[in-house]
Amino acid sequence: MSAFYFRKVLLPLVMLGGACVPQLLRAQDAFPLVPPAAEPRNVETSRDQVGRRFIPPSSFPKSPAGVEDLMKQETPQSLETDLTLDALLMMATENNPTLVQAQQQIQGTLGKALEAGLYPNPTFYYIAEQIFVDSETDTDTPGEFQGGAVQQEIVTANKREISRRKYQQRAKTAEWMAVAQQWRVCNDVRIHFWKTLGHRQIVDIRRELLKAAEDSALTTREQVNLGQATQAELHLSNVSLQRTRLSLLNAENMYRSQFAMLSSLVGVELEPQPLKGKLVADMESMIDFNQAVENLYSDSPEVLAATAKWQADCITLERERVEPVPNIFVKAASGYNHESREPVASVQIFMEVPIFDRNQGTIHQAEADLARQNAEIKRTKLRLRQDLALHYQKYLTALQHVIEFQSVILPEAKAAYANQLDAYKGDRQNWGDVLKTQREYYQLREQYVHHLITWRTNETLINGFLLHGGLKAAESPTPPGHIDSVAQPR
Amino acid sequence: MSDSSSRRAFLKNGTMGTFAALSVGTPAAAALSKEQHDSPSAQASKKQADQHEVQDEYDGFSRYRPSRGHDPDSDYYIGKRVPGFRNPADGPAPFIANDLDKLPWKMKNGAKEFHLVCEPVAREFLPGHWMNVYGFNGSMPGPTIEVTQGDRIRIIVHNELPEETSIHWHGFELPVQYDGAHTMTQNPIKPGKTFKYEFDVHEEGTFFYHSHIAMQEAFGMVGWFIVHPQKVWDPPVDRDFGVIFQNFRIDPMQTVVNSWSMDWNWHTINGRSGPYATPLVCKHGERVRVRLLDFSPVQHHPIHMHGHTFWITGHEGARIPKSAWIPRNTELVGVAQAADFEFIANNPGDWMFHCHMVHHMMNHMVQHVGPRLREDAKVDHYLTSLDTRPRVKMHQDPQFGIPGYPQKMQGMTMTKPMMKKLWSRREVKGMRANAMMSMAGLMTSVRVLPDDLYQRVMETDEKVPKGSIFKEIVKRFGTIEDYEPAPPDVMQKMLNDD
Ligand SMILES: [Cu+2]
Repeated sequence: MSAFYFRKVLLPLVMLGGACVPQLLRAQDAFPLVPPAAEPRNVETSRDQVGRRFIPPSSFPKSPAGVEDLMKQETPQSLETDLTLDALLMMATENNPTLVQAQQQIQGTLGKALEAGLYPNPTFYYIAEQIFVDSETDTDTPGEFQGGAVQQEIVTANKREISRRKYQQRAKTAEWMAVAQQWRVCNDVRIHFWKTLGHRQIVDIRRELLKAAEDSALTTREQVNLGQATQAELHLSNVSLQRTRLSLLNAENMYRSQFAMLSSLVGVELEPQPLKGKLVADMESMIDFNQAVENLYSDSPEVLAATAKWQADCITLERERVEPVPNIFVKAASGYNHESREPVASVQIFMEVPIFDRNQGTIHQAEADLARQNAEIKRTKLRLRQDLALHYQKYLTALQHVIEFQSVILPEAKAAYANQLDAYKGDRQNWGDVLKTQREYYQLREQYVHHLITWRTNETLINGFLLHGGLKAAESPTPPGHIDSVAQPR
Repeated sequence: MSDSSSRRAFLKNGTMGTFAALSVGTPAAAALSKEQHDSPSAQASKKQADQHEVQDEYDGFSRYRPSRGHDPDSDYYIGKRVPGFRNPADGPAPFIANDLDKLPWKMKNGAKEFHLVCEPVAREFLPGHWMNVYGFNGSMPGPTIEVTQGDRIRIIVHNELPEETSIHWHGFELPVQYDGAHTMTQNPIKPGKTFKYEFDVHEEGTFFYHSHIAMQEAFGMVGWFIVHPQKVWDPPVDRDFGVIFQNFRIDPMQTVVNSWSMDWNWHTINGRSGPYATPLVCKHGERVRVRLLDFSPVQHHPIHMHGHTFWITGHEGARIPKSAWIPRNTELVGVAQAADFEFIANNPGDWMFHCHMVHHMMNHMVQHVGPRLREDAKVDHYLTSLDTRPRVKMHQDPQFGIPGYPQKMQGMTMTKPMMKKLWSRREVKGMRANAMMSMAGLMTSVRVLPDDLYQRVMETDEKVPKGSIFKEIVKRFGTIEDYEPAPPDVMQKMLNDD
């Protein structure tokens, strides 16, 4: 009879029965609290107090679904695939819808330019005046005058041409925006290409880490058998194993999500497959911060679009300034005068007299818009510089890490692992310590891949004018506001 | 002067001869005397003028077969006063500390002058395992100082260590200024400096010298200091062995002693670990003394000898009067203690001689878990590619259901060069092929060999196949029908390693 039986059955009975101490003592005498060491193993063990007799190691936790498949995968040594970065960029150029949108923004604006430059149409009237007037010769004539008139607005001060120039200039803005959109798409394709490549590598490394965790769990079981590890350590090794399995699944999910993003950006729905490319690049020259600022200021499509827009705003002001110059309306009519019984003609010339509304409000608005746009150029530059500071810091830090990981950290960690293996082979190291070093080396490799991703991502952004967001709808070059909301663009 | 063919015939035939021998102190003479014994009539005529008479049997105790004698109170009980073959007139038997040199001296100004250099030393604990310790004159332990009672000695100590030191002459009743107690009796010897110790030796017995800086002691700075008595101890011994047992803490993957540790994992006998510690080889019937010093930092050693019962005849303090000698199979020797074991080598064979502490019978202990004990797993598979690793089989050997499995020391792999070096020593010739796998840490062996076998092992260069001497002993003194040689695979491996 075991101590378990004593505690769980006899003791409560004795207590419940209000039994006295002597009985308890007798019970204790009869059933020793510590069971003999070599007790049959089929007795239920889970509730036994730990450390009183040998409890065989519990089984490994069940693998979450998908882990075993991932463990069976092999990293392809040579990548039989055409999915290079260039191919993906080509696909994106053809299929990314925002590039079409950007093109249509240009077309739309050019349409406005066409419209704004068109001459106003003439107006045709039929005129019947003074019907039933009594004439001296007759009475109740069909009227004094019956005839047709044509009215034409004569546009003054080159208003149409200025308007056309204004929208043509705005189309240039749209063109720069389209260039920016191309950068957005290409940069994003590149970034997700690096990320997909990197996360693919991380899946491989996590797979190795899982092997190490399995080894660790097995080693703990071996140690339990040798009295060198406890049940608690066994449970913790199960925890560690399961967490490592989850982290492999996590890496795989991450990889799939990166691939899906990449696939979305190129505008083609691709199944996850190996990519052909290298995450590591030559590091012949490091990007210089000041040089990068200069490049942004001079060549950033956003700066160029803002400048183009500023030029359009200048023309807008010019256009609004000539707006008060009155257009001349000429109206000519020809008909039959029933009173005088002869054909007659009539001419009217009129114009609006700019006394009260000299378009001064809109001019004021255009001036303000121009000044605002001037500030916008400066704001764009500063915003880019600010973004650059952030990305440059990430780029620089990652690059410094990549260099040091390549030259020192990884070789040293690898050497430590090799040392430990050699020593273990020669009976000069504990396996647990070897596993620790192995884990450290593999974790450092994973960190290295993260640094590579950060490096290439930020390098891409800096070289690509910090533009990203390849599925953001292409922006319109049309600013909001009164001037553009009139029926006929001007 | 001997008919070697008839002698050989006698020895090969393996009879346990009960004969008395006359010794003149050399192996050849001893062999001769035994041979002469074949014809009892020769015995009387060969008696030497010094009257040193040696018998085969004393009061029921035989020097040639395991025996006790008739009476515990007898002077010859368990060979207590049974003399060796050596003639006392020839002085004490030479002192042998295997794997250690003797410190030479020159007579100068009426004193034996010795030079000791304290310095960092690399010592090969096992073949290919070079450990960084401190020692003297390039050796750890230091070379043996051997003098005779009554000598005046001068020891000039040069400190080539990077730090201060001072040397203590352990057990000597000397003028206090030469005692070597750091700062208490002398200024420390600075690096690069020299100090002269000079005193008369009125003692006799087993002594030693060592640095009196604790951490330097943990680094192994010790050496024998043997003082032979002017009046040779009775009964005379044929062999006088010295073994210094030490412990070191040297962490896994390290070669430098961690003197700060409280845990000890490397063990040496005269600066070498089993099986590299050289066996003590003697002849059948000899009286043997083993002086054993425990110079471990914190561990005492219960020293056990197989196949014989020995008398404790001295400690480091003094020779023990015979009335106080005690017979033992295991003697506990404490830190900084020495013990003299004396016995008649009456049981031929290769006998374990070792510390009985379990962890002292191993070296550089590491947990024996991992690929080395797994089926189909090899460390080499891990070494071939460091960036990927083999996957473990998540099921275990059913034997893992047994608590405690596995206890076998796994994979104490010995490389070919290692095996070659181990077997290249004369003292191990003819031992069983797997003998080297059985000794580790504070383990060595006492080899008791019949005359002819002793000669083959120690005095000829003839090739002696592994296991042949052992087998021959079994044939002569045991039951050869029951004998199983080392497994052929092991044998083959060892032979290939030759
Ligand atoms: Cu010991």
